[in-house]
Amino acid sequence: MNWFTQLFCRRQRFDDISQEIREHLDEKVEELVAGGMSRTEALAAARRQFGNVTLIEERTREVWQWPLIENFFTDVRYAVRMLRKSLGFTAVAILTPALGIGANTAIFSVVNAVLLQPLSYPQPDRLVALVRHFPQGNGTSTSIPKFMVWREQKQIFQAVTAYDEAGPGMNLAGVDIPEQVKGIHASADYFTVFDAPFAAGRAYSPDEDRPGGPRVAVISYGLWHGHFGGDPAIVGKTIDLTGDPYEIIGVLGPTFKTDLPLDVWLPLQADPNSTDQGHYLVCAARMRPGVTLAQAQAAMKVSAEEFRRKYPGPSMDANETATAVPFLDLSVSDVRPALFILLGAVAFVLLIACANVANLLLARATLRKREIAIRSALGAGRRRIIYQLLTESVLLSLVGGALGLALGYAGVRPLLAVNPVAIPRVGDHGSAIALDWRVLAFTLVVALFTGILFGLIPAFSGSRTDLSTTLKEGGSRTGSGFRHNKARSILVVSEMALALILLVGAALLIRTFETMRSEKAGFDAHNVLTMEMSLSGTRFAKTAGVAQAVREVERRVDALPGAEAVASTCCLPASGLDIDLPFTIEGQAHAAGANDGDEEWRNVSTQYFQVFRIPLIRGRVFTEDDDAASSERVVVISESMAKKYWPNGNALGAGITIGHNVGPEFQEPPRQIVGIVGDARDAGLDSDPVPMMHVPEAQVADGITALETRVLPINWAIRTKTAPLSLSADIQKELRVATGGLPVAHIRTMQQVIGESTAIRDFGTTLLTAFAGVALLLATIGIYGLMACSVQQRTQEIGIRMALGARPEDVRKLVVFQGMRLAVIGVVIGVGAALGLTRFMASLIYGVKTWDRTVFVSVVALLGAVCWFASYVPARRASRVDPMDSLRYE
Amino acid sequence: MTKSNEQRDLFPGALEMMILRTLKHQPLHGYALVQHIKRASNDLLQIEEGSLYPALQRLLKVKLVSAEWGVSSTNRRIRIYKLTAAGKKHLEHEVSRFERMLEGVTRVLAPVKS
Repeated sequence: MNWFTQLFCRRQRFDDISQEIREHLDEKVEELVAGGMSRTEALAAARRQFGNVTLIEERTREVWQWPLIENFFTDVRYAVRMLRKSLGFTAVAILTPALGIGANTAIFSVVNAVLLQPLSYPQPDRLVALVRHFPQGNGTSTSIPKFMVWREQKQIFQAVTAYDEAGPGMNLAGVDIPEQVKGIHASADYFTVFDAPFAAGRAYSPDEDRPGGPRVAVISYGLWHGHFGGDPAIVGKTIDLTGDPYEIIGVLGPTFKTDLPLDVWLPLQADPNSTDQGHYLVCAARMRPGVTLAQAQAAMKVSAEEFRRKYPGPSMDANETATAVPFLDLSVSDVRPALFILLGAVAFVLLIACANVANLLLARATLRKREIAIRSALGAGRRRIIYQLLTESVLLSLVGGALGLALGYAGVRPLLAVNPVAIPRVGDHGSAIALDWRVLAFTLVVALFTGILFGLIPAFSGSRTDLSTTLKEGGSRTGSGFRHNKARSILVVSEMALALILLVGAALLIRTFETMRSEKAGFDAHNVLTMEMSLSGTRFAKTAGVAQAVREVERRVDALPGAEAVASTCCLPASGLDIDLPFTIEGQAHAAGANDGDEEWRNVSTQYFQVFRIPLIRGRVFTEDDDAASSERVVVISESMAKKYWPNGNALGAGITIGHNVGPEFQEPPRQIVGIVGDARDAGLDSDPVPMMHVPEAQVADGITALETRVLPINWAIRTKTAPLSLSADIQKELRVATGGLPVAHIRTMQQVIGESTAIRDFGTTLLTAFAGVALLLATIGIYGLMACSVQQRTQEIGIRMALGARPEDVRKLVVFQGMRLAVIGVVIGVGAALGLTRFMASLIYGVKTWDRTVFVSVVALLGAVCWFASYVPARRASRVDPMDSLRYE
Repeated sequence: MTKSNEQRDLFPGALEMMILRTLKHQPLHGYALVQHIKRASNDLLQIEEGSLYPALQRLLKVKLVSAEWGVSSTNRRIRIYKLTAAGKKHLEHEVSRFERMLEGVTRVLAPVKS
């Protein structure tokens, strides 16, 4: 009720004031007329003596107002009115920032989901991953002995756990079709470290987590409901997992989510006295309250030294130590640089969009000079006018921002669909990307900032008016139009510099793409189908069982009409998954415990090289005879390994002992090198070829088979005559029969496997190219707009020139020259900046230098051509000016 | 024309003080007030007639004067301002302050006795 009466009172008050002032003037006029003046003179004199009537009335009203707020609302209303008048301009001025802001919102929401959102565990900032540290980086996998030493840091860590880094997948039987579920072995403290809530039952205790302990399992909420139908009697139930019976003792709560979805947790049951040097575990810990990351890192260094003392020798490299990193880093450190580059790129696009809108506003300011001059004459201060103009631009950008938010949010999912595997933590099809407060706040801040940024220059230069000239002149052809043009030129030049930087970045990525595609991968990935299988059960406890299954698979699949060859391996090429083992070369003297090298190793079946068409360079590949019964142990090495260790070229026939000093499971007699094959880029297409040892599946030591079965799935690769997926169902059937009913998982073509290894870079390349394209388009529009406007402003001048004898070509050249001059300046600045900035992209680029000549030359040429074209079109229009018309044109 | 451009021979508050003083004599309406001040100062003070109105509203806002509509002798509808009790007190306070200030300035400006 109060505000209403106040409002009403105010109305009344303002009316009173108006009336009072009118009365005053009337009285004055009467007096002057009575004194002999004519009525008209008296009216003028009265007003003059009174002062600026409008201004005084406004000042009087202001006594009862809060000027700041009142002004703000007035400005907003005025701005809306002005913008509604010129809908075309308004539309463009809203859409342009909307696109820029939308792109920024989209990328930021991805960054938010990946880097900023805290992990879903309780108190995630206390979680760290304990990793091995080398000068060149960190190694996330660790071994059992290292875990045992690290977990002794009890003052620093509340709890320490180790769990399988990957898992072979576990075969869950007991229903019609056995299913492969994702499960890991985790030490008992896992549930303490991650503070996992339980929906039913309990976690396994440290007592159950010792070697030879009971077979118990904890399952996820999803598995409980999905597979067991939410059975209320689930605790205590026995299930058939990996061929053995396990008792379910606990079910985790529905809120517990891991980065990679997991269904089953089994006790690690690691032997504290183990000397197993295999690194296949991830170690995580929860810091005690009050402990800082720096303290944890220092403690880990101490721990590393302790390990070295306890286990001297090859189990730890000379330059290896240990450290702690925030747990989030495990999943995101790969993708972080790409995301930051994208953020930078999209900021550039926004800046270019701002420059375009600023140009638009400047052009419009020239048209509004009269209006602003009149307002100024009526008493508006310069600051007032600037505020009003800024209000207009901020209003534009806020509306653009709202539109951009919608665009960005809608656009993120299709964007991610381009490359779904690339980004961690975004969920299936970007489901984890939400419009939370951070994204909204970001968009709001960006929109405000954008509005002020592109509004500032037009506001300042538009409010500076020479009153008398503007009011006297009829048109807007001279005067501050010139000053505006200078500002606009500067804007266009900066647009071009920014666009050039983006184009260079995109071009570098595209060249990398081309280089990687054209560089021989070393193997043929077309028409190859891959599948994973977890070889659980006693049948596969020893190599003989595995070898027999492989032979059976070969027999059955080779019989299929569409299949050319089939092979098994522990690790697919270019999958990024590898095992590495040390070895010694026969015939060379060694100190006890010293190795000659440590290289990648994989076990493959006989048709492996055939399936992937890896060329044989010397010697032979494996045959059926290279099995356990044969007396000769063989190995086939890759070309780079031959070059590295036998530079004189006599690798063939040499003997090496693999797995020396690593542990009893890995002990095996020396092998003879029987073949040298071409390099296949096994560590992913973006690195140099790695030396590789291949051993036949049938000759693998039993200890290694046991370890592998526990830690990795076996990969089947089949070369097909036609489209790989068409044969998928048949192959699956044969595989199941040959292995006694084991389920198959993760069916992908080899092309998909390769795609996954370059996923992040491909994603970045696609986006950056898109941004560069948008930037180029905006910059072109910018320069075209400037030239067109300039031509229009100079119509009279052009007419005069032509009347004085200039030919159309001369006029064209004049305009194009003007445009190109701007282009050259922009290019020079842009190239300078690009040379400095592209070094930040170094991690994403391969095979191309950051200052690659071809890239720079072609980008400059592209930009130059585009600018030339953008200047030529208005130039043509200028040259068509009829001197007679232009001289008459007002 | 902004506030800063107004010719200010007067210090802030001077106009209000003079208005209050004038109204102490008798209630007046805006035009009469202006004429009175002009006459009383012997035209020594150049005041924009309109500048009175914001000052009047300020005084009205802090309730140092009150206003009501009336009819003038010439049958004109006018708004008459009247000094309130608070206004009277404020006036006395301001006048004494002003006189003190004036004395201080006069002393400083006085020729030094040789």
